[in-house]
Amino acid sequence: MNFQRIGLAIAFSPTAHAILAEAVKIARQFNASLALVHVGLKSDENQAKIKQMIIGAAGDPVQVSILFRKGNPADEILKFCKEEKIDLLIAGALKKENLIGHYIGTTARNIMRKANCSLLMITTPAVASTSFKNIVVNAEDSAYIQDAIGIACQLGKLHHAQWIHIVRELKLLSLSLSASDQCTEEEYELTKQNLVREEITKVEEMLSRIPHEGLKINIKVVAGKSGFELSKFAERKHADLLIVGAPPRKFSIFGRAFPRDLEYVFADLPCNLLMINLKEVTRG
Amino acid sequence: MGKLSHADVVHLLIQLSIMLLMARMLAEVARKFKQPAVIGEIIAGLLLGPTVLGMINPDWFQTLYPVPSANATILSGFVQVAVVMLLFIAGLEVDLHIVRQQGKQAIFTSLLGLMIPFAIGFIFPYYFPEFFGIADTTQNLIFALFMGTAMAITALPVIVRILMDLNMFKSRMGLLIVASAMIDDVVGWLIFSVVLSMIGKEGNMSIGYTILLAISFVAIMLTLGRGIFNRVLPWVNKKLAWPGGVLSISLALCFLGAAFTEFIGIHAIFGAFIVGIALGDSEHFSERAKEIVHQFINNIFAPLFFVSIGLRVNFITNFDLSLTLIILVIAFAGKIIGAGLGTRLGGFTWRESLGAAFGMNARGAMEIILGIVALENGLINEKVFVSLVIMALVTSMSSGPLMKWMLKK
Repeated sequence: MNFQRIGLAIAFSPTAHAILAEAVKIARQFNASLALVHVGLKSDENQAKIKQMIIGAAGDPVQVSILFRKGNPADEILKFCKEEKIDLLIAGALKKENLIGHYIGTTARNIMRKANCSLLMITTPAVASTSFKNIVVNAEDSAYIQDAIGIACQLGKLHHAQWIHIVRELKLLSLSLSASDQCTEEEYELTKQNLVREEITKVEEMLSRIPHEGLKINIKVVAGKSGFELSKFAERKHADLLIVGAPPRKFSIFGRAFPRDLEYVFADLPCNLLMINLKEVTRG
Repeated sequence: MGKLSHADVVHLLIQLSIMLLMARMLAEVARKFKQPAVIGEIIAGLLLGPTVLGMINPDWFQTLYPVPSANATILSGFVQVAVVMLLFIAGLEVDLHIVRQQGKQAIFTSLLGLMIPFAIGFIFPYYFPEFFGIADTTQNLIFALFMGTAMAITALPVIVRILMDLNMFKSRMGLLIVASAMIDDVVGWLIFSVVLSMIGKEGNMSIGYTILLAISFVAIMLTLGRGIFNRVLPWVNKKLAWPGGVLSISLALCFLGAAFTEFIGIHAIFGAFIVGIALGDSEHFSERAKEIVHQFINNIFAPLFFVSIGLRVNFITNFDLSLTLIILVIAFAGKIIGAGLGTRLGGFTWRESLGAAFGMNARGAMEIILGIVALENGLINEKVFVSLVIMALVTSMSSGPLMKWMLKK
């Protein structure tokens, strides 16, 4: 898989330089072109500021285009992605939203919920450039599960990652066990082990189709609320990148009141987040 | 607090011990035949109660389980608590996430699987109340509504066990069946609570008020209540002893919810069920905690409850063959047509749909709980109750083999 056109939503925030540096680095790694979008006034001063930031971040020249838009930031950035055929959008995001921001939706969260391309949300930008040493990837059944694991291995090799943790959810564990309570201790343990083994086998099957030589891979089966357990696991492992497949449905305010899956992740980002969505991506 | 005499304490402990021992022995026999434990536990009650022991030696039965007595009152309290706890774990089993994941299809399948058995279950008792032994024909609407609900409900654990045996639990069809059964249970218990609160009341105002109360309770518990649980549980998990903390707090919340619904005129079991859903849906209520709550209730309180059924009712003198057969036909026809159509419209073949319908036909423990609550509230007589218990056992025993047979053809 390859990202050929990378977009960067840029604002004049204290972390803008660092996010731009990250974007340039990733564009180089994928040999992609980089398009910047700023939602705000297209003044000489703003143009000069952005150019200055590019010079500061890029070092060597990269192919960068700059676009200015007016209107609602989230809507304009999403439109930009569509019109510019962006494969991967990079943006900065706060780790956690406040309560009002959670329900109304900040720009970053609205982009996460509605984007039609892959997304990299950076929570801890660094001008010196972050490397992804500890990657967690969600292996929950989705259209992009194979691609998510594939890109995890690809990035793992590029960044010489120490660990790639593949997290698979074990659905309805307590219900399965309560339905199996009429068995001996040995049978009960065996049922439990088989349930876990079944999920590990599924991940191993997927991995067998993906080149992952030289990578240290840990398959972790978690039981509980999907998304929530994934987020907690990433936090426990001090992950620097969490990779997930984009969900099939768009998120709504109902989802925020009754959080499910990725809403748990969005509510409190455990680390940088890469959400794979291949609707517009060129497979390489 | 009142005090039992020394003899009463000894007697009560012996009663509980015999009930648990017999329940375990017969549950083990049921297990050998790959049947749910509830079947063995009901048979244990029949053996200890008026049906067998009372027939063979009435004096022994009276000595062992005398009615009325201080012990009988306490035992009845145990059973009441057991019913509340069983509904609590039934609520914990409802996974709103799976329901949402299955989306409209699950709602469609479950509604057909609920409406058709409900309609068939309603029509016959409504038009022929005398056949069902309803002397007071002014009560036939409530009775018919109850019978409709009794036909619509499903036994989730039995279905899960069958799906696991068939290695279909995590398949598209398996998850659809599980999600549909969960919706059936939520709607079924909601209707049943309204039906119970209608007993002895007249007029549309009070019925409308009860429905409003029940729906408001569900809405508040699943939003505000769930939010509070989400705040309290992380603290409980972090600061209190594990699993003692989460066990005590969750059961305390269950009893509080049950007390509240009983107080506002909806039955206690409804409160326990909804608190179970709200707690089980919290991301902070771990699967391990659920497993412990399940084990604790399923292996101590559930056997006491199911054995007590047999202690209370004579299954031979109250057995009515034609009534039982009619109830069995209504139960099979309603669920197989309803759930079969619902699954078929979900894009499965007729064979698969019928297989799923046989699976969803299992009524299990839930039907028995529904029946005993209705009996206690004077909604049904002992003959209807016995027929309902037999229907619950027959549907639970037959659903696995029938589903396997249909899907392996």
